[in-house]
Amino acid sequence: MSEGLKRRDFLKVLGVGGAGASLVGCSTEKVERLIPYVVPPEEITPGIATWYASTCGECAAGCGIWVRTREGRAVKLEGNPNHPLSRGALCSRGHASLQGLYNPDRITAPLLKENGEFREVGWDEALELLEQQAAQARGRFLLLSGKTGPSLAAAQELLAAAAGGRRVEYEALSEAPLREAARIAFGTDVVPTFDFASAGFILSFGADFMETWLSPVEYQRGFSHANAQDEGGGKAPFVFLGSRLSLTGQNADEWVPIRPGSEAAVALALANVIAREGGDAGPYQSLLQAYDPTSVAAQAGVPESSLVELARRFMSSGPGLAVGPGVQGQHRHATAANLAVLVLNAVAGSVGRTVHLTRSDLTAPSAPFANLQASMNAMQAGEVGLVMVHGTNPAYSLPTSSGFQAAFAGAGFRVALAQALDETASLADLVLPESHPLECWGDSNPRPGVWALQQPVMQPVPHFQSRPAGDVILGLAAQLGATTGADNFRGFVQGRWSQVHAASSRSGEAFDAFWREALRSGVVETSTPVAAVPALRAPDVALSFDPPAFDGDESGLHLVVYPSPRFGDGRSANRPWLQELPDPVSKIAWHSWVEVHPETGAELGLREGDMVQVRSAHGEVEVPVWLYPGIRRDTVALSMGSGHEDYGRYADGQGVNAMTLLPTEVERPSGALVHMATRVTLEPTGSRLRLATIEGSSDQSNRNVSQAVQAGVAAVAGYDGGHGTLQELQGAGGFAPVPTDGSPTAFPLPGARHGEYDPEAHPRWAMAIDLDKCTGCSACITACQSENNVPVVGEANVRMGRDMGWIRLERFYDHVDASAPGYLDIRHLPMLCQHCGNAPCEPVCPVYAAYHTPEGLNAQVYNRCVGTRYCANNCPYKVRVFNWHRFTEVPEPLNWQYNPDVTVRSEGVMEKCSFCVQRIREAQNRAVLEGRGVRDGDVVPACQQSCPAEAIVFGNIRDPQSRVAQLSESERTYRVLDDLINTQPAVNYLKKVTLHPVESGGH
Amino acid sequence: MATATEQEGGVQTHPDVESYGAVNRDILKMLAAPDKGWWICLGLAAAGVGLFFTSWIYQIVRGIGVSGLTSPVGWGVYITTFVFWVGIAHSGTLISAILFLFRAPWRQSIYRTAEAMTVFAVMTAGLFPLIHVGRVWYAYWLIPYPNERMLWPNFRSPLVWDVFAVTTYFTVSSLFFLLGTIPDLAAARDQAKGLRKKFYTLLSFGFRGTDREWHHFSKAYIYLAALATPLVLSVHSVVSWDFAMSIVPGWHATVFAPYFVAGAIFSGVAMVITLSVPIRKFFRLEAYLTIRHFDAMAKLCLLTSLIVLYAYLIEFFMAWYSGEPPEQQMFWNRLFGSYWWATWTMLVCNGIVPILLWFKRVRHSIAALFVISIFINIGMWFERFVIIVTSLSHEYMPFAWGVYRPSIVEMGIMVGSFGWFAFWFILFTRLLPPVAISELKEVLPPPMRKRAQQGGAS
Amino acid sequence: MSGAQRGILASFDHLDATLEAIKALQKGKVGEITTFSPLPEHHIEHALGHGPSPVRVFTLVGGLTGAATGLAFTAWTAMDWPLIVGGKPILSVPAFIIIIFEMTILFGVLSTVIGLFINMRIPRLRPLVVYDPLFSAGRFGVYVKGSPEVVQEASRILQAAGASELQEDEEGTAHD
Repeated sequence: MSEGLKRRDFLKVLGVGGAGASLVGCSTEKVERLIPYVVPPEEITPGIATWYASTCGECAAGCGIWVRTREGRAVKLEGNPNHPLSRGALCSRGHASLQGLYNPDRITAPLLKENGEFREVGWDEALELLEQQAAQARGRFLLLSGKTGPSLAAAQELLAAAAGGRRVEYEALSEAPLREAARIAFGTDVVPTFDFASAGFILSFGADFMETWLSPVEYQRGFSHANAQDEGGGKAPFVFLGSRLSLTGQNADEWVPIRPGSEAAVALALANVIAREGGDAGPYQSLLQAYDPTSVAAQAGVPESSLVELARRFMSSGPGLAVGPGVQGQHRHATAANLAVLVLNAVAGSVGRTVHLTRSDLTAPSAPFANLQASMNAMQAGEVGLVMVHGTNPAYSLPTSSGFQAAFAGAGFRVALAQALDETASLADLVLPESHPLECWGDSNPRPGVWALQQPVMQPVPHFQSRPAGDVILGLAAQLGATTGADNFRGFVQGRWSQVHAASSRSGEAFDAFWREALRSGVVETSTPVAAVPALRAPDVALSFDPPAFDGDESGLHLVVYPSPRFGDGRSANRPWLQELPDPVSKIAWHSWVEVHPETGAELGLREGDMVQVRSAHGEVEVPVWLYPGIRRDTVALSMGSGHEDYGRYADGQGVNAMTLLPTEVERPSGALVHMATRVTLEPTGSRLRLATIEGSSDQSNRNVSQAVQAGVAAVAGYDGGHGTLQELQGAGGFAPVPTDGSPTAFPLPGARHGEYDPEAHPRWAMAIDLDKCTGCSACITACQSENNVPVVGEANVRMGRDMGWIRLERFYDHVDASAPGYLDIRHLPMLCQHCGNAPCEPVCPVYAAYHTPEGLNAQVYNRCVGTRYCANNCPYKVRVFNWHRFTEVPEPLNWQYNPDVTVRSEGVMEKCSFCVQRIREAQNRAVLEGRGVRDGDVVPACQQSCPAEAIVFGNIRDPQSRVAQLSESERTYRVLDDLINTQPAVNYLKKVTLHPVESGGH
Repeated sequence: MATATEQEGGVQTHPDVESYGAVNRDILKMLAAPDKGWWICLGLAAAGVGLFFTSWIYQIVRGIGVSGLTSPVGWGVYITTFVFWVGIAHSGTLISAILFLFRAPWRQSIYRTAEAMTVFAVMTAGLFPLIHVGRVWYAYWLIPYPNERMLWPNFRSPLVWDVFAVTTYFTVSSLFFLLGTIPDLAAARDQAKGLRKKFYTLLSFGFRGTDREWHHFSKAYIYLAALATPLVLSVHSVVSWDFAMSIVPGWHATVFAPYFVAGAIFSGVAMVITLSVPIRKFFRLEAYLTIRHFDAMAKLCLLTSLIVLYAYLIEFFMAWYSGEPPEQQMFWNRLFGSYWWATWTMLVCNGIVPILLWFKRVRHSIAALFVISIFINIGMWFERFVIIVTSLSHEYMPFAWGVYRPSIVEMGIMVGSFGWFAFWFILFTRLLPPVAISELKEVLPPPMRKRAQQGGAS
Repeated sequence: MSGAQRGILASFDHLDATLEAIKALQKGKVGEITTFSPLPEHHIEHALGHGPSPVRVFTLVGGLTGAATGLAFTAWTAMDWPLIVGGKPILSVPAFIIIIFEMTILFGVLSTVIGLFINMRIPRLRPLVVYDPLFSAGRFGVYVKGSPEVVQEASRILQAAGASELQEDEEGTAHD
């Protein structure tokens, strides 16, 4: 990250002990009652943010975060630049963690079910009951848990042991097949880690590594480093093999639309070619013989030549990296498919270079469905006296055919430790409100040698009498006679971290100093044994690498049920920000949709928005059709995570739960739940739905707004970013033409220079966005929403087109062909206020609500605005959004999330991107206090801060040394529509770089 | 000013009106106590007013979001109806000012109605900018007054031009209208009794019709007409600049000012026909509103419809000729996109239907004219709808294209506005002389002793 | 009694009769004449020969004032708090011209109306001593004012001209 950030973390991030936290807490309540500080608590200065380092609890990746608190409230999450994985970036789900903390549907108090009805009870009563139930059920105890940090896992194990039962971990998204494959191939029972950054050629067999696969933020950053033009020089080609283009797939340079189930065969065929040409296949030599390109190509439905040629390029432009298959390949032969891909890596010599298998004793066991299924049978058989569910929601995330509910009912006493009353918790007899990760202690060990702490950043939100899961579990364990070695979970974590201390480079110092520093930086790296590059081992289990069987008859369409980039397995579905966030692929918000290829749609007589019954052998759902050229004609896709029935006001009834279409089947030997297993039929219901989409047209219609250039080809000789010298009526009160240089620095124009508006006295803030790096992941949108209090308008309003995001991620299909392997060109264009030098929105405003500041910002003064909406009409970029209702009135305590530095807009007011003017002012004030000028990199808008691909750069374009000024000099730079309507925007886009001649949108 | 001896070739414009006295008798009897039919009409209009304000208040309470407006279509039915009424407002001053300066001898019978229509139409139009803003309670910020922030309106904004143009136009046309009624109110006063007499005495300012009064009056009238003429042309030009000054494809066109002015006169005259046909029937004014008048108005409609049609066609031509994809595709979308039905309604009503007016038989059939004028009114409303909505829905950024569907609230306000307009107009027909008594006499032969002797007593 | 101003009002049914009466009175230089008519009758005007109406001065002055005000107002407010919008000059004169124009018209019209009222001496709500309600309908009137002798002479002439009705005015109301 830039030098600015390093300084920021030194200044801002500080660790906090329990005492500190409680102090913060007290202040929180003071703020609640709006009483000014009489005695200001330490670390709290009104109006000054306090930052805490912690770990994101939204998914298993465990990215490092910084939490910005104001007057004792968490108001914003940002990536922790010290964290070796996320390196300062954060995804949409991470940002939305704030809405889990302040979610109005969190459980307010312990709930006890009495004849079918929940009744609020005190904690004491609840715990007493829990203890006696646990005591009774001793020996017949079961703990169902989601993936947790190592310390919490250890505490759970303690409890399980004390209660004489088992702890079973279950995650709907399981990496078990990959891990099992790694064990088979190399004898190391760990999930391999992948180094995208140093890859020279990237193959993905349907793995969505930018959205949901393993560690998306880390991989996205690595990918942009490898695949973007300006980093490391070369541009590592990325080829996507799969039946459906996920967001990851959309960013590929080429798409080989292989038939579902043929991943293993294709991977082996590629390995075969490489082996033939000198690769070492070890024990798999003979196996590879069976998979010659010719037969496999037929099997996969792609021409042989494409496979052979692909293999050669993969081998030559090393080190190659093949990943996957992801959920698209999680079929009845998933382990084999994963093994095949690992073999491909091994044969190509990538293991040890881009694929690492670092042995680690601390990595938690993988959480396949098989274990859960066993315990379900146990419950069914009545062998479970007390079942405790924590951090997982099988009643929702399992296929209905699994019969979980019945099994769960078989348990003697059911306890749920949950934040919100989800589908599983509502089946329980006793529900204990768990604290949010931002309210309690914990740790994570996302990689061997990487240890991150999770610390409470504020007193638990007073609206909910929640308690940290760790404390509850430890307490119960202690009651059952376990020796926990600490009286609360914080102590427990500290205790365990003594090992980390010992292993760390700072083992010399006292533990307290180490602990403080760990809290401050949020992460500690310990030395890990550098494993020798393992050799391939022959499979020790029988595996079939051939296409698996699929339910449903041949005529049916293959069903892909993929984890949602917004909701993951569905746990994030109660966050309004994420519901409102347009899906990065479909651009649809709130409701579900089924992805159908346009030609398939035409055959079935389906138009976009037609409601269809999607029917499989196991269930059926009713969803609207969305026509998507990025999916094979014989495949349809549905997203996981929607269709909750009991998960709060924002999730309930939004869309459908695709899992109901799946069989309950375990893949052997990994034990994972089979995802890619069935074919479905589509049957129009006759009704139609107006999709809640932000997509107008995905065709550029010769506007050339999202431009590209072929790699190695200079953009265009003498191309000046769309602007030559021009004459503007600036002289003599607007009558005399004055020659104007249309450069990005040109503001104010000669005739307009007056008083304050002196070009020398002020910076001109500007932005550069590298379209070659931007992946369209939409993290910037949620970051912006969180930073700038951008309201959520709800499904009905999105459907009308009233989405209020300050950034609109436009997606254009320039070349997508699902019928044959070939190059792929899908453009992503983040569209935000361009802060035009000649802003068309400004002169039309009758009350000066829109005007230009001397610093070149296109300012919008909310309390001047009367809402004529003329500015929005006259904005060629359509980036102005209007408050049609009082959208900012949200239920308590959701309003706690609002950023105190930014106005909360009222009804009838126009708004738009402000270039995070509050951050500009903060940086300028700090610079003044430190008696210096604002340095490049001091001002980092929310979007730039969270961008995993580092596509956005912001700064003063008048300073020739600034990064933004230098980027704007690039030959790839262009400004949208500038040459057409002379708006002179402050946002400079760098053309996407393609590996093929540009069809349209080139310049 | 025109008098009897100066009629074109001495042709009688009102052959069936025998004398000056008859004029007073026929016109002033309209001011007599209203009958049932009048009350029914007023009641209907009042219902419309009710609908209008109920919808508006509902919108103020619930937020502008109850309209169908959205991004990218930030203007819709409200601005459409605003422009529609401003357009209607144009014929009045046109007929009373421009035709006055041109000495068109057929204006006398209709201009009072037209002027009243103008005033009430502006009163209606003036409400719509208020209705459509997001925070109507702050709408007064558009008025230049020294507020606590010492922030004045942005005089570069066409919306502020609008505020000035429309308020000026309202003031001027009202004055013009009221001034014209003074002599007739004096006439009413001279006949009325009791309370009505007091009322008219007050309104007629004690005008008596002395030579001196008439002298100043007629001179002032010319000056006012001279000022009102450029004003009437400017107002709709300014309204058209609300669009033409923007960079929206489909709005940003230099033809807009003349195009809108022609359209305004077109719709205005059509509305005069729509209104004067029932009045003529209701008050038996056949002798005053003769076929000649309708024929003349029909010709004016025909002329303006040709100008408007030409503007439509030249717009499409220029879009094609510009070579700019946004322009070209916007106009293609206008014809064949989501709003094709609106566009074709406009073209048929304003371009095709008026062709009938080429035929004398049509121009001389009151019924036909009435029907055609209704078509024109509808067509002109759709013209504004097409210009505003189709352009906004299909701008520069393809990904931001969108479709706007008017909501029930918008429709309520739009329909209600007709009630509001009708309410005032119906009141007018009973309170003020709907035909200019004194000016009408200018085109009647003055009473001459000679003629009296020849033609017996008169 | 003698020397007091008195007046006589004659009503005529016919325009030509009225004109004759006026000519006769003018020939005899009898008293000062005020006529009533239901419409601006230019023959009468011609006969009485009025000079140009001073109202036009009001119109001109008003218009010029309006233009000046508009220019000053727009320019001053723009300079008073200079805000750049759309990269346009602080003094965007082309845009201001519209405001200037509208204010010219507005001021011009208002002052014309004021001028007219002043010159017509209205509003005047005092009822007339002698007036014929039919003036507003179809009749023409000639009113002569002067000494009792003059009035007598006048009434003779008026009768000769064929006045259909004569009214004595004891007070000699001022009619200008």
